[in-house]
Order: sequence, then structure tokens, then C-alpha cells
Amino acid sequence: MALPEDPEDLAPGTAAERTRLAWERTAIAFGAVGLAMLRGEPVAGLLVLVVTPLIWALGRYVSSTAPPQARSRRLLLVTVAVTGVAALAVVAAFIGHGLTRFR
Amino acid sequence: MGARGHQAAWGGATTSHRGHDDGKPAAPGPAADPGTGEQAEDEPDVRFTLANERTFLAWNRTALALVVAGLGIVQLLPPFPGVPWGRHVLGVPLIVLGAAVSVTAYREWRRNQTALRRSEPMPQSVLPRILVLTITGVAALSAVVLLVSAVR
Repeated sequence: MALPEDPEDLAPGTAAERTRLAWERTAIAFGAVGLAMLRGEPVAGLLVLVVTPLIWALGRYVSSTAPPQARSRRLLLVTVAVTGVAALAVVAAFIGHGLTRFR
Repeated sequence: MGARGHQAAWGGATTSHRGHDDGKPAAPGPAADPGTGEQAEDEPDVRFTLANERTFLAWNRTALALVVAGLGIVQLLPPFPGVPWGRHVLGVPLIVLGAAVSVTAYREWRRNQTALRRSEPMPQSVLPRILVLTITGVAALSAVVLLVSAVR
């Protein structure tokens, strides 16, 4: 985390750190989902794995001085990513190997 | 909003809102800004913003877990004997719920952030209710699929 201009902003240190850890947990969750999908759906799994470092990078920019607009855009990106994973999962559920493997 | 307003909100809430960092942040209320008495929109205490962000992220991890659970049901479970559609009936709603939770979490994050800026009480979240209803529904559906499978 970059040093804020105002030393008073150093006080939320632990809150900022917890938030960064939450971002990292979220990135790890994406990675786990990607790895889980990789077995059945290699293309979908790779797509999700590509998103993982992006989420991790977004978490590095947690800053008490981040402008609200940038914060909003970052979170929207997470929602778009999760919704995209869900869409991939629905497609995989209907046309993926899962349907044919046990038939 | 100027830097001064941000600092006033930050300083005013330092002592009165400890211990709300992991869940929903408490509404700052009028006491959070004793120096200025401003009621207009203003950037909230940065810790409230961060706590709101963590709540959003936690819901999104829940959403990912739901998606994986749904996909696992469809792809990893052996088919229910006599109920070829059983896995899809159980798994697809979980995946769709995952997407719905993620979108709702974003909308609630925005709503909470607006409430914090206006020093209004925190709005109630609908996400726990959505989660309870859907998990209960999927559990009931599982029982039905298992019963149908056993009968056939």
C-alpha cells in the first residue's frame, strides 16, 4: 500500500490490510474455481484462471485515498467476472462433457 | 467533496465505531461528524468504505462457491437412476443463484455506500433471505429427486 499523503490515514492500517487479504482470498477462490473447471472444461477453466491474477492485482490497489469512481469500477469488474464464471458454468452444464460422460 | 470533509468524518468516527470492521459497518449517524454538522453527501470514514468492500467480496466468494457447487452436481455426480434431468434440476439453480448473489451484492454495496455518504441508517440486506430461500428450495428439490429416483 502506498503511503498516504496525510499521516492520519495511516491509522486504518489493519482495516486496509484486512481488505487486501479479502481481495486475495477472492482471487484464490477464482483460482480454485478455474482449477476445478479445468478438468471437465479446459477452455472455461483457462478463462477463469486468466481472471485470477487480475483480481489479485485489483486487490493491490486498495488504498484509503482511492477515488470513489475507481472503487466502484473495480467492484463492478468483480461482479462481471463472477457473473461470467456463472454463465460459463451454465454453458458447461448443458453442452459440456458433464452431460455426455455418464450417458 | 473536499479533503477537509473526508478528514472530519475520519477523525470523528475514530473512537465510536471500533469493532464493526468485519461485518456490516454501523451507520455513522450525526455523532460521526460532530465538528461540521454537515448532512449533505460526504465521503464516509474510510474504514466504513473498506468494511463495505469486504462484505461485497465475501458475498462474491459465496457466489463463486454456489457456482462451483452447482457445476459439481452437474458434472461430478453420477446420474440419478430413472431421473436423467435430476442433476440439472439441482445444479443449474445453484449456478444461477451464484450470479444473482454477485449482482445483488454489487447493488447493495452501492446502496450501502450511498447511505454511508448521507449518514443514513444502513439499509437491510436481502441477500441472507435469498440465500436461505434458495438453499431450502434446492434441499427440498433434492429430496424430491431422490424419492422419484427410488420409486422408479
